[in-house]
Amino acid sequence: MTARAPRIAAEVAAQLAARHAVRAEVAVLQPADPFLDMAGEDMRRRMFLTESETGQTLCLRPEFTIPVCRDHIVAGARKARRWYLGEVFRQRRDGAAEFHQAGLEDLGDPDEAAADARVLADAHAVASLARRDLTVTLGDQGVFEAVLIALGLPEGWRRRLARAFGDSGQLDLALADLGRPKGAAHDGEVAALIAAGDATGLAAHIVGEMAAAGLSATAGRAPEEIARRALEKAALATVRLEKKALAALTEFLAIRSGLDKAPAALSAFAIRSGLALDAALARFGARVAAIAAEGLDPAALAYDAAFGRPLDYYTGLVFEISAPGLDKPLAGGGRYDRLLTLLGAPSPIAGVGFSVWLDRLDKAAGGAS
Amino acid sequence: MKLGIPSKGRLKEQATEAFAKAGLTVAQAGDERSYFGRVNEIPGLEVAFLSASEIARELAAGAIDLGVTGEDLLRETIADFDARAAILGRLGFGRADVVVAVPESWIDVATMADLDDVAADFRHRHGRRLRIATKYWRLTQQFFSQQHGIQVYRIVESLGATEGAPAAGQADVIVDITTTGSTLKSNRLKILNDGVILRSEACLALALKDRPAVDIAIAESLAAAFT
Repeated sequence: MTARAPRIAAEVAAQLAARHAVRAEVAVLQPADPFLDMAGEDMRRRMFLTESETGQTLCLRPEFTIPVCRDHIVAGARKARRWYLGEVFRQRRDGAAEFHQAGLEDLGDPDEAAADARVLADAHAVASLARRDLTVTLGDQGVFEAVLIALGLPEGWRRRLARAFGDSGQLDLALADLGRPKGAAHDGEVAALIAAGDATGLAAHIVGEMAAAGLSATAGRAPEEIARRALEKAALATVRLEKKALAALTEFLAIRSGLDKAPAALSAFAIRSGLALDAALARFGARVAAIAAEGLDPAALAYDAAFGRPLDYYTGLVFEISAPGLDKPLAGGGRYDRLLTLLGAPSPIAGVGFSVWLDRLDKAAGGAS
Repeated sequence: MKLGIPSKGRLKEQATEAFAKAGLTVAQAGDERSYFGRVNEIPGLEVAFLSASEIARELAAGAIDLGVTGEDLLRETIADFDARAAILGRLGFGRADVVVAVPESWIDVATMADLDDVAADFRHRHGRRLRIATKYWRLTQQFFSQQHGIQVYRIVESLGATEGAPAAGQADVIVDITTTGSTLKSNRLKILNDGVILRSEACLALALKDRPAVDIAIAESLAAAFT
């Protein structure tokens, strides 16, 4: 911690250390690849990159979650709660490029509801150091995906919509696109092979094309994979998202209520739309109960069915904590059960965590007093 | 006020012609090898002859106030272009498109939405992200991430012969500049239906900052000549 750490940092550190977690030590200089791989190229323009003598691309840590999870994998640990506090470095058009974050990652607990509730309570406790009048918004990627499955949408469509979840602009674009039939887009030999549903013939044709272009059949997309997707696409070319399904999705995404009323609102939606959401709603209900057991009042938390984060490793709960009069959230977090596998864990490790912006916390605390 | 103009070859000729058509004479001081000059009709406007790629960079750095170079280089080199610079005139030469191209053998990929699908699945299937070779990392990133919501891919910087990157195994997809599309075709690459990122041509650009009235007048008279 540097001398310039926000005043509230010591209190935050004490709060986190008291919550049955061990402190993670994370080097400032990190290999850049895991961040670019996980957070996407959008991260590149925000990172401070440099190069080692051997040509490895390094960066000043832009966040903590990825290094903390990598350490967890390397340590071969099964269950752990790791907290952190320190500077992160990001290029921003306005504001400092160097600011302080704290947070906690709750890794390897198979009891999803309990871990979700615990992390939400952790984040709430830390944010409460600054303000009492917090606003908490929760979303759930898992419920959205369950709705897509219950609607019987083809897998390709489901994946596309799930990717856009949390980004209303992209989601609207995807819905509009799926509402339009595409028609055939091929001619000649390819059209004939597709019409015949001949996957083997199509793959053979693609092998020829790839060889002629000097492309390796194993280094990237394989001929069988391309053939299969071409046939899937052709099968979907004449169908489009039904009005009924679109109406149900629109209705779902508009659900907003106190978390205490959310289970009832969701099951009323399921009954009205004739959708089987039992498993997802049971998980959702268990989480609400666990949150209440952590001492947070569900009626004081908001559920927003459309709230999500457009990154491919979030799988369930997502949340944000803010306060009236602030233009940016104080804390954010969520469940990322896919992240540790993507980072190279030999078997799946559950993960849920949050981070807080200490500078915002400090400012919010000052503003309230 | 300092105006940057390409220092060599065809670009220099075309820029000079475009100015001539607008009624402006670009005069080099001394002989052909001199790297500074002026525009006869506009007193107070100096000309610096620079390489085309330097012009965008020097505009961003503030070493020159105005510059003639490709819109692709301007938008690639200058972060937050629309807030920091303005295009005063499109000069009608150096036309080329910055495009997203994929192997022709990818018969299932015709649009950015298809590419989004493929990219999302890529890590799971191949243990790495989809790779895009380009020298336009800023334009690529804006187009993929911000416009099309595609997050999961990796950019591989390519400083030349980008069309060869897929065959060389360096990348799966490319973002590159093309005029006729013939190099793409001979490398068996196809442009996605909605894969044109930018229709570029040579532009006269002004770096935006607070200027004295006399400099604003110079910029305005240049802008007027090109409208």
